Amino acid sequence: MKHAALITIPLQRPTTLNPTTGLVGLAVSHNPHERLRVLYTKILASLQTMPQDAAYRKYTEQLVSERYNHVKTEPNVEELEKKLNCGQIEEIIFQAECELALSRKMSQWKAWEPLIEEPPANQWKWPI
Amino acid sequence: MAASLVRFVRGGLGRSIHVVRNSCLLQQQARLQSSTTENRPTVRPSDAVTHNKLAAFGEYVAEIMPKYIQQVQVTCYNELELMIHPDGVIPVLTFLKDHTNAQFRNMIDLTAVDVPTRQNRFEIVYNFLSLRYNSRIRVKTYTDELTPVDSAVPVHKAANWYEREVWDMFGVFFANHPDLRRILTDYGFEGHPFRKDFPLSGYVEVRYDDEVKRMVAEPVELSQEFRKFDLNTPWEVFPAYREPKEAAPKLEAGDQAPEKK
Repeated sequence: MKHAALITIPLQRPTTLNPTTGLVGLAVSHNPHERLRVLYTKILASLQTMPQDAAYRKYTEQLVSERYNHVKTEPNVEELEKKLNCGQIEEIIFQAECELALSRKMSQWKAWEPLIEEPPANQWKWPI
Repeated sequence: MAASLVRFVRGGLGRSIHVVRNSCLLQQQARLQSSTTENRPTVRPSDAVTHNKLAAFGEYVAEIMPKYIQQVQVTCYNELELMIHPDGVIPVLTFLKDHTNAQFRNMIDLTAVDVPTRQNRFEIVYNFLSLRYNSRIRVKTYTDELTPVDSAVPVHKAANWYEREVWDMFGVFFANHPDLRRILTDYGFEGHPFRKDFPLSGYVEVRYDDEVKRMVAEPVELSQEFRKFDLNTPWEVFPAYREPKEAAPKLEAGDQAPEKK
């Protein structure tokens, strides 16, 4: 009887969403807009700590705010996926998480500074 | 009799050759009609669109990370190459992996190149694939025998065994590698076989000794002393990179040429 009870638990899934992403290890997101909103706000806040003329800040701000606008204006998930044109919404969420981690690391590394050291002469000369 | 026979044979042969030549000419004419003469060598068509796309992406990365990227180039086979400072291995690889416009999540290969004449003799080469954008990139950095390079394992787990292989074959030390030990060579092996100064025959040879009833390792004894092989190809391999030959040093007006003996 116990097993039967386990099996008859109804699946609580909104019918509008895919049942699965089809990708191993990537679970279906139930509130993608909320999640993306949080992530994009965090990325933009993290970018604020960089200097104004850093190329990474410039390009990423442009990219993220463009996507953020799509997220704000498009309530339908499938339409949003088409507009962002970067795979399923779960993949986009995963990418936003990566970008957030990267933006925090970038401000640690200060990658916008000038070259730390020139290569030795003929280091990149090929053939020798 | 014999001479006349020879003459006959010669005449017959000549006639038959004539016939063959005629038929050849006919065939050639037929071919000429079907297609125009093609004298140009077959040259690989250049793909300007891909080239420009790769160059634009290379400039984009170089602009974002000027601290580490020393040089960007697109090869003649449309492969994008980033030359970076060895300190920038982790930042550049993380950027390429996590940035939305790059997404190079797959490490395809990691290897090294040994060029003993350089100050930093080892070139470490990373190859990546972006499944999202269906694109590949190559990252190169450099080191010498003693300087450790940052391990790429925190960024790409696939780098684990590749770095062990590079350590085994070239003796490049990777800092912060979780498990840096030999991977291909035998237990107790000494030396790094892919270095250019490693002899082709190795240093020791292993055999089973019947008297002591075990394997013994002995220094290599060659039945023949060192032999010089001429392995250079007779063709010019890199004609595009041919350098102008140095002109003979000019003599001043008053100087006299050294006498030849």
